[in-house]
Amino acid sequence: MSIPKLEFPPFHLPPEAEALRADVRAFLKETLPGIKTEDRFASWNTPSPEFSRALGQRGWIGITWPKQYGGSERSFLDRYVVTEELLGNSAPAGSHWVADRQSGPLLLRFGSEEQRQAILPRITKGECFFSIGMSEPDSGSDLASVRTRAEPVSGGFRVNGTKVWTSGAHRNHYCIALVRTSGQHGDRHKGLSQILVDLKTPGVTIRPIINLAGRHDWNEVTFNDAFIPESCLIGNEGDGWLQVTSELAFERSGPERFLQNFYVLRELVRVLGRQPAKRAASVLGRLIARLWTLRQMSVAVGGMMQGGKSPAIEASLVKDLGTIYQQDLPEIARVLAESDATTEEDMADFLDVAQYATMMAPSYTIQGGTTQVLRGIVARGLGLR
Amino acid sequence: MDRETRDMLLETADRFFTERCGREVVNGVEKGVWPAEFWKEIEEMGLPLIAVAEERGGAGGTLADMLSVLRLAGAHAVPVPLAETALANLLGSAAGATPATGPSTVVFGPLTFAGNRLSGEVARVPFASVAQRFVVVATASDGPKVAIVAASSARIKGTPSHAGEPYGTVSFDNAACEFVGPSPVSAERADELGALMRAMQMAGAADKVLATVVEYCKQRTQFGRPISTFQAIQQMLAELASYVAATIASAETAARDADEGGLAEGGSFSIAAAKSLTSEFAQRIAAIAHQSMGAMGFTHEHILHHYTRRLWVWRRDFGSETFWGEKIGSAYAKAGPQALWPALSASRYAA
Repeated sequence: MSIPKLEFPPFHLPPEAEALRADVRAFLKETLPGIKTEDRFASWNTPSPEFSRALGQRGWIGITWPKQYGGSERSFLDRYVVTEELLGNSAPAGSHWVADRQSGPLLLRFGSEEQRQAILPRITKGECFFSIGMSEPDSGSDLASVRTRAEPVSGGFRVNGTKVWTSGAHRNHYCIALVRTSGQHGDRHKGLSQILVDLKTPGVTIRPIINLAGRHDWNEVTFNDAFIPESCLIGNEGDGWLQVTSELAFERSGPERFLQNFYVLRELVRVLGRQPAKRAASVLGRLIARLWTLRQMSVAVGGMMQGGKSPAIEASLVKDLGTIYQQDLPEIARVLAESDATTEEDMADFLDVAQYATMMAPSYTIQGGTTQVLRGIVARGLGLR
Repeated sequence: MDRETRDMLLETADRFFTERCGREVVNGVEKGVWPAEFWKEIEEMGLPLIAVAEERGGAGGTLADMLSVLRLAGAHAVPVPLAETALANLLGSAAGATPATGPSTVVFGPLTFAGNRLSGEVARVPFASVAQRFVVVATASDGPKVAIVAASSARIKGTPSHAGEPYGTVSFDNAACEFVGPSPVSAERADELGALMRAMQMAGAADKVLATVVEYCKQRTQFGRPISTFQAIQQMLAELASYVAATIASAETAARDADEGGLAEGGSFSIAAAKSLTSEFAQRIAAIAHQSMGAMGFTHEHILHHYTRRLWVWRRDFGSETFWGEKIGSAYAKAGPQALWPALSASRYAA
């Protein structure tokens, strides 16, 4: 048979990463009760600058980065443990999440020395937060069709265009925007670059886009003759496409793709009580088995990445399975609670939790690459296209 | 055995199964023809003795070595009790017996053991009607025992499985045992080991289903082009790949955990989770595979059913997702919400 083997070699997180886990748990146990958040059930998209600063003080943001930029030079697997502990313990990790996961690594890899020195140490202290400026009104899955234009002018660029779904732009300091710096719309991957945008730049306007759950996470960011200095170009002119594709790989394989609504499972355990009926226990156990499998797959991908491989197809499979699990979870949990919650009061409360989770669920299979785009990547890996 | 030796063994076994376990052998077993020559060759290769210690005539391999061969057997729909005999030999030899030749099977269930005699009835015993002996783990007053009973000392009612394999109900009525020894594992653990071996066979079968379906869709032409070029098919097969990947990953992780943690208790939770997952995903895999292959895959002529029917049977063997899910769910519920994440991230039952 000629198709590539799908293998997720079982991988143990190393002892130093497990030791770090104990430290992170102790820190969270102490810190979380004192942190105020807007969310009852926090996750990686719940902002809390206060929490991020506390985490930064421990050296757990930008943990893999060189010490000269404020990092701790620890392994990718140490970072994995920190992120999954934040998620598993419902920490409000939203302020620094994007900077830690992709903006910082991007600057480290492609940015100028000046950019790194100016930005990275502030990220690691939990004082500098980032938004992603990729999508536009006419460019979602088809990212190469972006229209925002950065026209070279003396000393920099004059930028015009609109970015949308820009999470946290109203709170964050910077946005990394994918823009056309040369050529024409229709040139696709050619002529695209990424620029570092201070969100306070004159000519940059941020307007809220409220999501269906009534939350203000997203924004529309409009550039109207905004001047961006030349020093804010990231890497070489025209390398934008290469940069975003490498960034999307960071975005896909992490534990946030199956632990984002972990609170639903934890609350379900609570409302079912200590001795659920057989059927209820069985449904709960099957959910736990699915989640355990996802975690093992994700850890295996982490092991492959640590070993110098780039398991793009495997990462896509984890996001596909993980986000679908996250969509199934609130539905299965709601039905189960309706029949098996131990008290009426618990049930009513839990149904509100599940309802909220249901409203958030459609986003999981859209953000960071839709299920259909991911399956296209997998199909290519299977040799079908 | 070291990695290199195991890879060599797997390569040899893969070639052997490809050559000697074709569709006619699998279909023959379904018609009641015992492939005596094929079984003899399996024994000559030493496959049922992989995890048996060298001083008992085995290859001295590990549980992981044995399971890797069983995954391969699953990928070839090997229609003889290789898995059952390998597990029977592992348990029997660890209890002090020297493995005999001939096919065996394991009988795990509500059996009573008193005065070296065995009583009780277990249904859906794999390969009950072709096994020459039954290997049982039963609890006696002084701990669990491995008992070996000759087929002639048991009553067997053959009820072929839905995959056409000679399953059946086995009854012991104060049956005399050929051998009794102290068991290295509890009766509950024996069931876990059965579940683990099935999970690995399912991983093999799932892998084969994906490969079969992908090849088919690349060759099958409709509307003037291979159907693999249609987005609808591509999306289905990518989804299929995700379920196959999860099946393989969960089974392999459980195999590693069982091997590392030792025969008596290693990977107890991982096995439960893996058998729950593989059993739950069996239908998703079979459903997409059959839909992709249309009427062709629904025929007896095509080999797809050798694998999909086994997935449907194996998901029930040694506990389905209902059974293992309940076990996991009950333990986690009992431990309460705060224990959920620490237990899950440590691959253990919440305590």
